[in-house]
Amino acid sequence: MHHEHSFLFEPLNKLLIAVFGPPSQKYLHLMGAEHGQVFWLPDHVIMAAFAVLVIAAIVIPVRKRLSVEEPSHLQQSLELVLSGLSSLLDDVIGPGLGKTFMPFIGALAVFIFTCNIFGLFFFLQPPTDNTSTTFALSITAFLFYNIVGVRKQGLFRYLRHFAGPVVLLAPIMVPIEIISHLARVLSLALRLFGNILGEHTATGIFFGLFPFVIPWPMMGLGIFGSLIQAFIFIMLTMAYIQGAVVVEEH
Amino acid sequence: MSRRFAVVALVLVTIALVAAPAMAQEAGAAAAPQKNMWQFVGAAFAIAIAAAAGALGDGRSIAAACDAMGRNPGGAGPIRITLIIGLALIESLVIYALIIAFMILAG
Repeated sequence: MHHEHSFLFEPLNKLLIAVFGPPSQKYLHLMGAEHGQVFWLPDHVIMAAFAVLVIAAIVIPVRKRLSVEEPSHLQQSLELVLSGLSSLLDDVIGPGLGKTFMPFIGALAVFIFTCNIFGLFFFLQPPTDNTSTTFALSITAFLFYNIVGVRKQGLFRYLRHFAGPVVLLAPIMVPIEIISHLARVLSLALRLFGNILGEHTATGIFFGLFPFVIPWPMMGLGIFGSLIQAFIFIMLTMAYIQGAVVVEEH
Repeated sequence: MSRRFAVVALVLVTIALVAAPAMAQEAGAAAAPQKNMWQFVGAAFAIAIAAAAGALGDGRSIAAACDAMGRNPGGAGPIRITLIIGLALIESLVIYALIIAFMILAG
C-alpha cells in the first residue's frame, strides 16, 4: 500500500544523508525500504518526534506562565483536561492512589491523541498508523503496569495473582493468565493501529474521489475516532493498572 | 523534579530516537507471489462477516444504553461513557478482521 510522506521526510533525510552519508544497503533492508528509497529515519519516527515537539511547544510556555489569579485561556483548557483525567483515574483505579499515575496516563493520552490527529492534516502522517509506534506504546504500558504491580505488592504476591483465586487451580489458571496478559499487548497495539490506519486510508480514498466537501464527514469521524482511541487506550491501561495494584483483602 | 533530571531524560530520549531505526525492523518485502483469486474472496468474506456481526453487537449495546438512559435520565453521563467504551471494544474485534483481510490481500 503506497503511503504518502510527510513534509519533514524529504528535507530531514536529505540533511541527514548530507551530514552522515547514505546508509548501507543492510540498514535499508532492515528498515524495510522498497527498492530505490534511501532514508535514515522513517516517516513514523520523524512524526512521533514532531508530535513531542508540538506538545512541548504548546505546554512549556503555559508552564512558564502558570498563575493562580489570572490563568490564561490555554492554561484553563489544559487544567480542564487534567481535572478530567484526574477524576477518571480516581474512578477507575481508586481514590487517592489514582493520582500517582497521572504523569504516565496523562502523557500517554496527550501523545496518542496528538499522533492520531496528525492524520487529518495533509502535510503530516499519523505515526500511529504504523505498527512500530503502536506496539511501542502498548509494550510500554504493559511493562508499566507490571512494574507498578511488582513494586506495590512485592514479586511473590504479584506472581501469586496469576494462580487465580483458588491456588489448587494454578496449573490451569497460570497459562490462561499468561496468555491473556500477552493478548493485552497485542490487542492494545492492534486496536490503535487498525483504527488509525483505517481512518487515514478511508479519508485518503474520499480525498481521491472529490477533494472538497466529500471528505468532511470522514474527517469529522477522524477527529472523533482519534479522541476515542486515545481514551480507550488509557482506559484499558488504567483497568490493567487497577488489576495489578489492587490488594485483595482476605 | 530538578532541571538536571529533565536534561538527562531529554538526552536519553534523543539517543533512543537515533537508535530507533536500528530496532524498528520491519519485515523486508519479498517479491509478491501470484495473486490468487481466492485471496479476494477470503478478504471480502472476512470483512463482510466481521462488519455484520460487529454492527449487530453495536446495535444491541446502543439499544440497551438508550433504554437505560430513558429509565434513568440522571445516570446518562456514566451510561454514555460505558456505551462508548463498549462500542470501541466491539469495534476492535472488527478491526482485527480488517487487519487479517489486509494481510490476506497482501499475499
